[in-house]
Amino acid sequence: MNDDFNWLEYAEPLAEAPPAPRPSALQRLRARFGWLRLPGLMRRLRLPKLRRRRGGQNADAGYALLEARDERPISQLDARLLALRERAEPAINAEAALSTVDELLTTPPLQEKPGGLISAAALSQAQRQQVQMLQDIVGAPAPAAASGEPARLGALPGLTLGGAPRLLLAVSMLLAVCLPFVASEYVVDELPPSDFGGDRADAAAAFEQLNTLTGTDYVLVALEYGPTSAGELDQLTDLFLRQIFAQRAKPLIVSSNPIAIAHAQNIIKRINGSVAAAGLKLVNNADYFLLRYLPGGALGTRELRENFADVARVSARGELINRNFKALTDMKLLLLVAESIDVMRNWVEQVLPASQRLTLLAATGYAAQPLAQAYADSQERIIGIIAGARDAYTYAEKLEAAYSTFKPEGAPQAPLPQPTAPPLTPAPESEIEAPALIATVASPVPAAATASPTPLASPTVPSIPSVTPPPTASPTPPPSPTPEPVWLVEVTSEDTARIRRGPTTVDDILQLAYAGDTFEVIGTNGDGSWYNILLSPRINGWIAAFLVEERYEAGGATAADASASLPREQTLLRWDYRASLGKNQPRLYQVNPTDTSIDWEYVLLRDRSLEAPRLAALSLGTLAAALIIVIGSVVGALRAIGGRRQPPASEAKS
Amino acid sequence: MGFLQRLGSAFSAIIAFLVGVITLVSLLLGGNPGLFGDLPQAADLAALLALPAAVLLRLVALVIALGVLIGIANLLLTHAQRLMRGRALSAALLGSFALTLFWYVARAGDTSLLEAVQLPIESSLAALLCLTLVGGAARVIAKRADIWSLLFVLSLLIVLLASLPWAELEPLRAWRDWLLRVPVSAGTRALLLGIALATVVAGVRIALGQDRAYRG
Repeated sequence: MNDDFNWLEYAEPLAEAPPAPRPSALQRLRARFGWLRLPGLMRRLRLPKLRRRRGGQNADAGYALLEARDERPISQLDARLLALRERAEPAINAEAALSTVDELLTTPPLQEKPGGLISAAALSQAQRQQVQMLQDIVGAPAPAAASGEPARLGALPGLTLGGAPRLLLAVSMLLAVCLPFVASEYVVDELPPSDFGGDRADAAAAFEQLNTLTGTDYVLVALEYGPTSAGELDQLTDLFLRQIFAQRAKPLIVSSNPIAIAHAQNIIKRINGSVAAAGLKLVNNADYFLLRYLPGGALGTRELRENFADVARVSARGELINRNFKALTDMKLLLLVAESIDVMRNWVEQVLPASQRLTLLAATGYAAQPLAQAYADSQERIIGIIAGARDAYTYAEKLEAAYSTFKPEGAPQAPLPQPTAPPLTPAPESEIEAPALIATVASPVPAAATASPTPLASPTVPSIPSVTPPPTASPTPPPSPTPEPVWLVEVTSEDTARIRRGPTTVDDILQLAYAGDTFEVIGTNGDGSWYNILLSPRINGWIAAFLVEERYEAGGATAADASASLPREQTLLRWDYRASLGKNQPRLYQVNPTDTSIDWEYVLLRDRSLEAPRLAALSLGTLAAALIIVIGSVVGALRAIGGRRQPPASEAKS
Repeated sequence: MGFLQRLGSAFSAIIAFLVGVITLVSLLLGGNPGLFGDLPQAADLAALLALPAAVLLRLVALVIALGVLIGIANLLLTHAQRLMRGRALSAALLGSFALTLFWYVARAGDTSLLEAVQLPIESSLAALLCLTLVGGAARVIAKRADIWSLLFVLSLLIVLLASLPWAELEPLRAWRDWLLRVPVSAGTRALLLGIALATVVAGVRIALGQDRAYRG
């Protein structure tokens, strides 16, 4: 049908209709712009009424609306409505047309349903007024209940005899779900396996993929679930993030669901609670990045692909992320935790084509697993589907087994132990080599970071996660258990020296330094005009050679020591943009550098005491639901066979 | 319809058509560089349209984000109006909005209110929904005893029981896998195909100016 067809223009004029008087120009003008008068303007703007009308029904919004429509002069009607009214008025006898309205619009008596938890309906005072108003309009006789006292509906639902089955249903399911938490010894449940079996090779591959991350890798983590799925998917998100942090990679968390961004912050807060026992803290915009919300669902993901540099420039709190990401190719992996297959499809179709080497590791809920698995099987670049609470349990077991050599003794479960004082001398070689087991699991992360909390003095120095390029021709001090001379530079410039992110004057300023400040050198650039120095065990920077003087000292002067002795002004600086009078003013603000190089494996310590009861509750709840459905179906079938089933109301009426 | 109105409609249709074509062609060529082989004109066209398409895409994202803000403002205004009519629950909504905003700003992005309030409430609603679904499934046969209800209940029981971890229920898992992989997957894919076709039709109608949504 053509939408342009205007039936008013092509309608046949009624033969007996007298020619309608054409409204005057003034009337048309008033009809067109009448709302510009103050009362009309107020109505257009939908401002709240400051004065409440007295007298019951007049205060009701619907009645007020009808009243306002009644009071509106006919000349204010739209021109098409005016024409229609003028044509139809002579032909329609209003009384004759409305004579059957009473019969058609009689209000059916509202009946109280026999009990139940949610079946009883109740009308509010405003709704009863509206019913009364409609009856007044059509002139219908008032029902008996409405004439005197208001209809009494659904009194004490659930306490009648008819509501007993539903009450029983609710109580039995509640008991089944709660039983494992209060009396776990009576609950027999088979826990999931500690490793993914042969038929779950994809899930095992997902684990290995995360295990290959290194300290220089960035992972785009898309959390696409809301609070309703949080109970199931939080465990998976928590595990993935802990593994990423343990591998010293950095996650960039993004979502097209604004709630998920805020919720991710809470998950990281929980992880921070774990690492706090080791005196560590995950720092926003340094160890992890919460990107801004992507509006528009699939369109938002498409925008992420097209404008990734811009999306990854600002954090969820409006702070500038000083990382200079250029494209999705800067990401090592895309990790998606989605509650539905639709969202997964959006990410696969909109984001994955951005880079041929980008792969997607997908996790979802148990309900979405069948479709997600079928979809993942048809896509080569999706690694594994890890689904639901049972897979989360297996994943946690696998993670714990892989990192068992790192776990502090006697602290497999929460509450977390207090960290022991880190040894200042290098550990014996045998102890250092012990964690190499994890390296064979597929982790190329240097293992010595956990063996000794003073990695600079330890034989194996951990890789420094930084976006700066590795120093070329770097004469790093040879690792040795015995103290070796440490290569240092001392600032000699009288002016403030700037330590930058890279060996050029256009790179960002990380920190200011003053005459007499000493830093350890880990390398130089090609021509030796810049020194690559340690600001903290995990952060390095570059300082121009003409500002400093180099020297060698006996071992012991570490970056951590240097940071501890730095004056207040030398804490790390970051750029920040604050809106001021509509103008963005960049400024530097101080960030306390955190020594985060030691015992990163504390992030893997989780409270797992509730995992088994939760799985048992899941099983018992499912079993209870199945039993209820079976019993209900049998009872229903018996009633149907016995002919005692009540016919529907419509059939009874007919 | 007056001349100016028709002119405006035509102008709107032309703009919509151009925007649609630029975005579509750019995304098509940009996402599939080998679509036309080594044809140099295709690469030139993709390079030419890349910037306008990116700008349009960002404009749409901005409009959607602005729509979210307008939605919030409209919600607040609506509840302010309801509050002036004496609805106490609107006061609770406005108060909680102000409290959450203040909490987030004053406590440097602390979202513990979300964790403490919204998460439990939405999880509880989901649990109530589960309870309702179980109740409904138990009453299906009572309400309508026919072959379809019986099939529904049997499928539901197979899927539920097969998800239990006990080894005795292992034979049911093959049935569950077949149910989920074949009929459910086929039905869902059919639905998705239908949605995709409807989206294409709607997109073409909008691009060609058949829909009146933007013509007033």
